[in-house]
Amino acid sequence: MSRWIPEEHGEEQAMLDALGVPSIEALFADVPKKARIGRMGLAAGMDEAEVVAQIDKILDRNRPLSKFASFLGGRISTRYVPAAVDAIVARGEFLTSYTPYQPEASQGMLRTLFEFQSLWVELTGMDVANASLYDGATAAGEALLLCRRIHDGHRFLIPESLPWEEKSVLANYAGGAGLTLEEIPYDPRSGRLDLERVRARIAGGSDVFGMLADVPNGFGVVDEGLWELKSILKDVPLVVSADPLALTVLEPPGRYGADVVVGEGQGFGIAPSFGGPLLGLFACRREHLRSAPGRIVGATVDADGRRAYAHTIQTREQHIRRSRATSNICTNQALMAVAFVVYATTVGPRGLAALEASLAEKARTLASALSGVDGIQAPRFDAPYLGEFTVELGRGTVDGFLQRLQRRKVLGGVPLADPRAGSGTGPQRLLVAATDAVGDKEIQKYAKAARAAMAAAGGGA
Amino acid sequence: MTFRQARWDEPDVWDLDPEATPGEVPPIPGLPERLRRREAVRWPELAELDVIRHYSRLSQMNFGVDTVPYALGSCTMKYNPRVGELLARRRNAADLHPAQPESTVQGALEVQWRLERLLTKVTGMPEVSLQPSAGAHGEWAALTMVRAYFRDQGTLDRRTEVLLPDTAHGTNPASAAMAGFTAREIPSKDGCVDLAALRAAVSERTACFMLTNPNTAGLFESEILEIAEIVHGAGSMLYYDGANLNAILGITHPGRMGFDVAHLNLHKTFSTPHGGGGPGAGVLAAGERLAPYLPIPRVVKEGRKFRLDYDRPKSIGKIKSAYGNFGLDLRAYAFALVHGEDGLRHVARRAVLNSNYLAHKLGTLLPRPFRTLVKHEFLLSGAPLRERGVRTLDLAKRLLDEGVHAPTVYFPSLVEEALMIELPETESRRTLDAYAAAFERALGDSPEHLHAAPQHLAVSRIDEVRAAREPRLSWKDLRDAPKG
Repeated sequence: MSRWIPEEHGEEQAMLDALGVPSIEALFADVPKKARIGRMGLAAGMDEAEVVAQIDKILDRNRPLSKFASFLGGRISTRYVPAAVDAIVARGEFLTSYTPYQPEASQGMLRTLFEFQSLWVELTGMDVANASLYDGATAAGEALLLCRRIHDGHRFLIPESLPWEEKSVLANYAGGAGLTLEEIPYDPRSGRLDLERVRARIAGGSDVFGMLADVPNGFGVVDEGLWELKSILKDVPLVVSADPLALTVLEPPGRYGADVVVGEGQGFGIAPSFGGPLLGLFACRREHLRSAPGRIVGATVDADGRRAYAHTIQTREQHIRRSRATSNICTNQALMAVAFVVYATTVGPRGLAALEASLAEKARTLASALSGVDGIQAPRFDAPYLGEFTVELGRGTVDGFLQRLQRRKVLGGVPLADPRAGSGTGPQRLLVAATDAVGDKEIQKYAKAARAAMAAAGGGA
Repeated sequence: MTFRQARWDEPDVWDLDPEATPGEVPPIPGLPERLRRREAVRWPELAELDVIRHYSRLSQMNFGVDTVPYALGSCTMKYNPRVGELLARRRNAADLHPAQPESTVQGALEVQWRLERLLTKVTGMPEVSLQPSAGAHGEWAALTMVRAYFRDQGTLDRRTEVLLPDTAHGTNPASAAMAGFTAREIPSKDGCVDLAALRAAVSERTACFMLTNPNTAGLFESEILEIAEIVHGAGSMLYYDGANLNAILGITHPGRMGFDVAHLNLHKTFSTPHGGGGPGAGVLAAGERLAPYLPIPRVVKEGRKFRLDYDRPKSIGKIKSAYGNFGLDLRAYAFALVHGEDGLRHVARRAVLNSNYLAHKLGTLLPRPFRTLVKHEFLLSGAPLRERGVRTLDLAKRLLDEGVHAPTVYFPSLVEEALMIELPETESRRTLDAYAAAFERALGDSPEHLHAAPQHLAVSRIDEVRAAREPRLSWKDLRDAPKG
């Protein structure tokens, strides 16, 4: 029996004696015989050491990013996390606590979450932020529902360039509410939103209750059209999905009329861990506060008049409002929010902007190295970008290209197509990220591998 | 009483760098000037040591399972074995991007595949998905699947209702509403589902009945097989809220009880740390009828290789950007392997023993509603305290002064001044005895002291009304209104 369940001095028998029942079995007399199961069919328990050895053996079948020159990015970042961040995140006082239902006993977590909210407010130019949602995609879904609460209509506009995973998640949030997504196409040359289409859509007696746009967008493009979008949408709510690192150098969406700003926060202090846990970021204008989802920490005072913190505006939430709550969310990503604020504070605002500047510089070197390869268009779109851009292959498939690169220890990027569409159909595009782990050597390695892969993909253009 | 929580006079992080003034953002290669932030983000610049010191001090003003018994009912605050932390931080686990080629993440896919197989046996359901991030996320995904199922059956326009007992967690009705259903609550009888009320409520309008078993009163719904019959008789689905699975591991399971779909909370039953409110992992388990609707991708094994399968035409699609919270899946898998078949059953046995033992002790101090044989948690009513002008809330605050976390309070609402208590299998008898003694001391204290509690924490009683009336929700709000 594991050390994790105490059995000192025959304490179970003593407890049974105190209860006056003959056996633990008797405590399950309320489970009817017909509902009982026999054995589950699991293996016998093992020592902790054996389990570590067994799981390590399985994990050894992975080849981590460090074994490659990796250019993977998109919503999931592989940036280095200073060791200080994990030292805080791993502290048992944070790690093993739960939602601060008793705020007096949980000031540490509440104050850290208040700092986290404050940071997302500063980054976005919004008024209020919540204490986290599951990930960027579900935060976008919650933003969609908020828009419907504050504006009539049944259509929600999204960019055609949005990553397919986010479209799929949004479709589920919309579907439950009987709402519909409508895609706004991009300009094929620049990758930017077709603003004329938005204008036409809004002008024609609108049934649109909101719109989401992302920065950088699914192609890595920083679309300055976003800066005009609100003047086109007018009273229709605008949701901006923004990358937090990009926001350290870009005008905050609050300056160009966003009503809600969501984002994926994993890049700030959280290991990629094969895609989870992640961190959903959510902020909005003050007038939408009562429609916002999730936990919100507020500052108040204690009985002695000292500053103290507690969850607040809870009448929005499921444990009070039940079916009329703004969201069903209960468990969120609090510890990841701790990582986010500790990361940003460790690196500091200047360090973050400098990091984004260096990634943007590298991305340009990479794009120019790849654009010299026959059959590759890099960047595919003629618009500003930061650390990521889209590559389009003139021949062959993304799958074939990436496989050839992988043989040379290069992870060349994230395929943009929906895997349900079948590989090899549609434009062959991938999103390529300049990460902090690559330098000139890795960039040249990529260019060389790409040249070989394109040569192997057959006859030149 | 000797307990004292740390009381650091620690400023907010921005006050550690009072000179912080937003500087200029450096020119960014390729970024037109007009898109560049005019003013850098306003945030302090601090030495790494000062960052560590700040958050270490804050952490010391926070209860966790590592430092105190955490008796929150329905939250299953068990010990989080550190082996999970060790494994999740392995380079071969943490340093993996979800878009890596499948050939480079065979180990991660194998862990997820193995955990899924293990959970099919634990739940008695044929198919499992690790995609949801939390219990409520799983509820919503499951009801979205139910919706898709009835749409395919052509009966969605009729099946518009989700039924649930009045003891249900608040997430249940909220998830039902988000998935497009009307939530309807059924009154309980003696803390359990009232079969007559259920029969009267179930109809061809019912899409689903959501049930937690054992329920939030800590009682096993002994008429579960009859409940399943009634629900299925109307052509409806039966949903298992796995929040309380800890009580029945290896004794019964949702499959045997007749459930069609379930969610589990790996952060409860399988001991992944609660992290101050998350992250969680809210596994979905589905029976034959709903399995085709599970979110994509699914992990499949072909020969000796694992891959992600997106070719599931009936699937509801995605509910989150990546597949599962892998870091938590790994911790849960390690927990399950160490325990194994008999160990997991003993988790439930010991959790139920602990609960009945503590209920027996505390039942001499405050009334226990409903029957006395309970599962992993139990309810007390603080109603008699009223005679002394004291409320359950005061008792909860006074318990904190004993260096223990309070129970869940004022839930479920059908019990007056409710206290819901759960100290899972990892707590020793000594701790249970100490908890009972602390409870007795707290109860016996004077009304003045109870009203004035807590006294030994970083702060005294917090004015939550003021927090809601004058919302100050960020540093920006504090700057704009610097009072208080």
